[in-house]
Amino acid sequence: MAELGGQNPLFTNIEKMRPVMVVHGGAWAIPDSLAEASVAGVKAAARAGMLNLTRGGGALDAVEVAVRMMEDDPTFDAGHGAVLNTDGEVELDAMIMEGRTLAAGAVSSVRNIANPVSLARAVMEKTNHVMLTGRGANLFAESIGVPTLPTQALVSEQERNQWEHYKHYDVAIKEYFNARWPSDTVGAVALDCCGNVACATSTGGIRNKMVGRVGDSPIIGSGGYADNEKGAVSCTGHGESVLKVTLARLILSHMDRGTPVSAAVEQSLRYMAVRVHGAGGAIAVSPSREWAARFTTERMAWAAIDGDLLHYGLNPQEEFKEPLI
Amino acid sequence: MLPVVVVHGGAGHVPKDRAEISCVGVKEATKGAYVILRSGGSAMDAVVEAVTILENNPAYNAGRGSVLNVKGEVEMDALVMDGRTLGSGAVSAVRRVANPIQLARLVMEKTSHLCLTAEGASKFARAMGVPEVPEESLITDYATMRWKKNLNPDANPVKCQMGEMGTVGAVAVDKEGNVACATSTGGMINKMEGRVGDTPCIGCGGYADNQIGAVSPTGHGETIMKVTLPRLILFHMEQGKGPKEASDMGLAYMKERVSGLGGVITVDPTGQWAARFNSLQMSWAAAQQDQLHYGLYHGEDFTEPV
Repeated sequence: MAELGGQNPLFTNIEKMRPVMVVHGGAWAIPDSLAEASVAGVKAAARAGMLNLTRGGGALDAVEVAVRMMEDDPTFDAGHGAVLNTDGEVELDAMIMEGRTLAAGAVSSVRNIANPVSLARAVMEKTNHVMLTGRGANLFAESIGVPTLPTQALVSEQERNQWEHYKHYDVAIKEYFNARWPSDTVGAVALDCCGNVACATSTGGIRNKMVGRVGDSPIIGSGGYADNEKGAVSCTGHGESVLKVTLARLILSHMDRGTPVSAAVEQSLRYMAVRVHGAGGAIAVSPSREWAARFTTERMAWAAIDGDLLHYGLNPQEEFKEPLI
Repeated sequence: MLPVVVVHGGAGHVPKDRAEISCVGVKEATKGAYVILRSGGSAMDAVVEAVTILENNPAYNAGRGSVLNVKGEVEMDALVMDGRTLGSGAVSAVRRVANPIQLARLVMEKTSHLCLTAEGASKFARAMGVPEVPEESLITDYATMRWKKNLNPDANPVKCQMGEMGTVGAVAVDKEGNVACATSTGGMINKMEGRVGDTPCIGCGGYADNQIGAVSPTGHGETIMKVTLPRLILFHMEQGKGPKEASDMGLAYMKERVSGLGGVITVDPTGQWAARFNSLQMSWAAAQQDQLHYGLYHGEDFTEPV
């Protein structure tokens, strides 16, 4: 397929498109103690991504910048602020995908690096592969000069205490809590001025997960998907449920058939609830600048920038707007 | 029309001297799976049996006979999915187990997770009493020969992949109308350590849904992932296309959009099935109504009684 200077061939308007940026900080029962920081975190990430877009950066750069910012923010369960697996270690998953060529990169179960989303991008751009896992992913990180951090640098004392508290619980009890515990995967989608879309998703997983557990976040089509012809999606929520319905790809199949973005996300989340009893959330953007942020969990911190307005929310039905300064 | 099972032994370019082994193996696996279905067994039991037989057969790139990673080691991926519940189990980059497909099934049945990777997968295997086997028991001379050949910096492993027996897989519909899929692989020749392809990624390495059908793919993993080939084919089937048409549409899209070649086996819940590929060959076999169908090259559909 011939591409003209990186432009989406479906985009025929000679005027450059106004970009759109949407981010989420995870769909779960965010406690009041984290509410303010979560909303501040997604707003900052959306601004950072949009700044990149307005300076002529591509959708891929924008989603990476936004997700990196949230990985660096200990409020969210990704990179810094990750939760611990059952052995008390950090294992991180991330994916990134761009919609023009369908190029994608992912890492699963990578240990102790600050920015898994950037490592995922390196897999995409510096290897012939799409996904690396475990020790192989860490070896690759080393080979390109990405530093390994001590666990203490990534995990808060609070998380360590919580983990200690629950590790002696029965497996059944742990499972019960799994449904309510942090699953604040972070993610972003963007549409740039050339009509290209991209998505990125990053997580530290669920507390006390089995060693080597891989959820939806790094799985192409589940944790995220981007295609210039259809749009871009990033998902969050109960990972196993998101996987069973390949949520990102499902949302885009509705959008592909002409369903408006919000309805596509809502229908897909409803299907996930009915078919596999899972709750979650998703952000999506279409090639025609429609976007949505929807969730079926108690809360999801999200922010979107569209033109001169910053939209954001936390609770169901909430949408605040403020002018972009 | 029910029950039915379809099995593949990989899409690509099978050298003539290995063509016969390739066909014999998939026929054997299909018969083994069909016996289970005919006596009222489940689609899940059938697909796991078919893939287990192929993993144990050193002629295929799964279990014993897996291709080697760049360091000369075996890392395997596998996936099962149950169309009734959308339950699924997968392992990625697992080492030193004889039957990754059975470990994948244990992930589905004994954990609340869908995928375990690398050391975590091995830890789980130990917890389940799955024996660890020596690496050498999985490595064949053929795999070693191909590994050495591709260490050469001028080698093109992707192209050479096409000369290898591929990933194995099976799809089935049982008497109750339940569908299932299973896929297993040693991955890509001389892949980087920890490389994960389509196989253990739900929607990419396979998908099964009682309401639509089941698919197991084979071919270049990275391109299958980019188009989520099984899920794409099933979207077409949801829109009313039959397994053959939907499979051809999916494969054509993968070729046009990301220049990928491969093959798929596909069933719908009524028992209609297809084995389609746009690579040079794909070894496949299917059993239905006591007839065994099989082929390797385009246009082939031999039949014999099961």
